[in-house]
Amino acid sequence: MHHKSIRTLVMAGCLASAGLLALAGTALAEPASESMLSNTCAGCHGTDGVAAGPAMPSIANMDAKIMENLLMQFKSGERPSTIMGRIATGYEDAELKAIAQHFSKLPWKSTAVPTDPKLVAEGAKLHKSEKCNSCHEEDGRTQSAEDGVMRQAGQIPHYLFLQMVNYQKQEYPDVPKKMMSRLSKLSEKDLQALAHFYASQK
Amino acid sequence: MANLTRRTFIKAAGGAAAAVGLVGPARSWAAEPHVVVIGGGYGGAIAAKYLRMMSGGKIKVTMIERDESYYSCPLSNWVVAGFRDLGVQKHSWAEAAKAHGFSVIHKEAEAIDPKAKTVSLAGGEKVSYDKLIVSPGVDYKDNIEGYTKKEYEQHPHAWHAGPQTEALKKKLAAMPDGGKVIIVPPEDPFRCPPGPYERVSLIAHYLKKNKPKSKILVLDPKDKFSKQGLFAGGWKTLYGYETPNSLIEWVAGASGGKVARFDAATGTVFTEMDQHKGDVVNIIPNQKAGQIAFASNLVEGDWCPVNKQTFESTLHKDVYVIGDACNAAKMPKSGYAANSQAKVCVEAVIRSIHGKDPADASYVNTCYSMLSPDYAISVANVFKLKDGEITPINGGMSPPEATPEFRKMEAEFNESWYRSIMADMFA
Ligand SMILES: Cc1cc2nc3c(=O)[nH]c(=O)nc-3n(C[C@H](O)[C@H](O)[C@H](O)COP(=O)(O)OP(=O)(O)OC[C@H]3O[C@@H](n4cnc5c(N)ncnc54)[C@H](O)[C@@H]3O)c2cc1C
Ligand code: HEC
Ligand code: HEC
Repeated sequence: MHHKSIRTLVMAGCLASAGLLALAGTALAEPASESMLSNTCAGCHGTDGVAAGPAMPSIANMDAKIMENLLMQFKSGERPSTIMGRIATGYEDAELKAIAQHFSKLPWKSTAVPTDPKLVAEGAKLHKSEKCNSCHEEDGRTQSAEDGVMRQAGQIPHYLFLQMVNYQKQEYPDVPKKMMSRLSKLSEKDLQALAHFYASQK
Repeated sequence: MANLTRRTFIKAAGGAAAAVGLVGPARSWAAEPHVVVIGGGYGGAIAAKYLRMMSGGKIKVTMIERDESYYSCPLSNWVVAGFRDLGVQKHSWAEAAKAHGFSVIHKEAEAIDPKAKTVSLAGGEKVSYDKLIVSPGVDYKDNIEGYTKKEYEQHPHAWHAGPQTEALKKKLAAMPDGGKVIIVPPEDPFRCPPGPYERVSLIAHYLKKNKPKSKILVLDPKDKFSKQGLFAGGWKTLYGYETPNSLIEWVAGASGGKVARFDAATGTVFTEMDQHKGDVVNIIPNQKAGQIAFASNLVEGDWCPVNKQTFESTLHKDVYVIGDACNAAKMPKSGYAANSQAKVCVEAVIRSIHGKDPADASYVNTCYSMLSPDYAISVANVFKLKDGEITPINGGMSPPEATPEFRKMEAEFNESWYRSIMADMFA
């Protein structure tokens, strides 16, 4: 698959990797550490990126390139959001890169938000019949930096639902046509089922 | 320090600690430096937990908190409006203390001796510290004649969540349809700038549903307020604001909104020109730093001056003040701000213990306000230190024009925020 934005970022990354030092706001002080920049996210995404639910996503362990790409898209406004756009514009590109690095090193913890067994069973069927598993392998456990696919297994269910509804209603920069054509014909109930299925996969 | 329960401080820190590179022997300090935290609210609970996490468990931490449980102010306006139980707002420290290995002493801190480096507690006990972090929140002024502490029971301000929250809810529930609610917001600066207007909105929601002939009169000492455009827009959509049938009337200070006196017996407020009798009167007094800050000479005027890169008091070395009590302009006094300041302070404290200068700081404030259960707005800012001032880097309000779905999504994220920040404090 072709993901121009990610490739560009990888190249830009080489140039920027040592660049954080240049950002120091106060002449003499060391630049803000990764944790200094990242721990501010915990008020919404939970301590170390593990959200408490019921709607905001966990972001721990997200592949650094994927997260950097999402944050850059929030910042540019390409990616629709209620609040992340306003937050991402508060950071330099190199800071967003450092933040993405930080979260990629933190362990994933699947959500404890309960799921509905009936919906889970329906979702499991849809996941296969709609061939979601061609990209979201191992029932949503895998991430692919190359394809921009993030983990869904054990994610907050209502977030997954909201995000799929968002995909149906709004333009997102990196959503593959194959996913859109499959998602667009699904009902709200189907999306609920898929959300519960992915969330139940720990 | 006789009855300090010694815990085994072995619980390792989360992933965050390793990334800072602050783990290691402290330079020229006792083998186990002791940091004491006064207050276990939005600032203090985070300071205690993150001191343990960020030091890899190498710092001994003691929290001093007067209450056995904590009632969160955020979302307490939902309780007032009758769609949330006060019980859900109640939290305690035992779980986090155990998980992260800090101890809690449930006593009032009465005074700080910055020379001897001790805190004296109610009952006479003294606790010594190497570093002290103070997050006592706010105290209330008697700025309106006739409204002092002894009126709080009959006319709760409910700006400190708990029994007063429930009392205000009951007064609204007991009010007849067609009654008048008078709300008197405080002057700047105060805890949660959009909070009084969120309360106005949610009381309007309650009245619209249950007592539609009633009215809310807001008598404001100020001429403008936080997120005013967004609130006014929401009130128009939801409560007929600025129409003859509006549930809400807001009177600015310059237009006669300034309340000078209150008669508790009749529920009458007196402005310069006029008087108004309310069935429910909710006066939110002006505010100042919590009492301990005054008892310990940590204040200049009403608030505690601090070095904004570290939150160390400019008046006493090794004493840090975070949260509502400090002057952290241009950050507002909010729970999110207190959380963020605690983390900046913890990194500075640990660096100082290791003999390092503070690094650049990064701060965030976000604040959701709910106008009805399906309609919320927010502000979000990232701040950096510029010329010694905490300066917003980005602009941050919800868009003035948005779909009902957008407002509804923010309402869902509002509760999600609450759960995550509570887990950040108490888990
Ligand atoms: C109605 C309302 C709604 C709000 N909504 C929001 C919101 O949506 N988002 C947001 O970010 N903020 C909100 N806030 C603001 C938020 O509650 C405060 O900004 C926050 O609590 C400040 O944290 P703090 O640590 O400074 O003080 P607090 O949270 O008040 O904590 C202080 C603690 O210290 C203890 N203490 C004080 N003195 C002593 C002493 N001498 N000895 C021992 N213990 C002591 C107290 O018992 C208390 O537990 C709201 C406030 C109100 C009133
Ligand atoms: C005020 C709450 C809030 C804060 C603070 C916040 N976020 Fe978010 N985040 C959200 C919400 C809500 C979403 C869903 C998108 C939206 O509507 O903005 C989200 C989405 C995301 C996503 C997309 C996740 C996915 O799986 O699609 C990432 C990545 C993210 N945030 C990272 C961060 C980082 C990093 C920070 C700190 C620098 C941060 N967020 C701070 C609320 C917040
Ligand atoms: C061709 C590959 C592909 C297929 C097929 C596919 N997806 Fe995706 N999916 C992606 C990519 C890439 C993203 C990230 C898009 C973005 O940038 O938001 C994604 C994101 C998602 C997300 C958001 C996760 C998050 O944390 O934000 C959900 C939910 C999702 N897909 C569900 C599905 C479902 C359900 C199907 C089957 C109906 C499906 N996908 C089919 C590639 C695919």
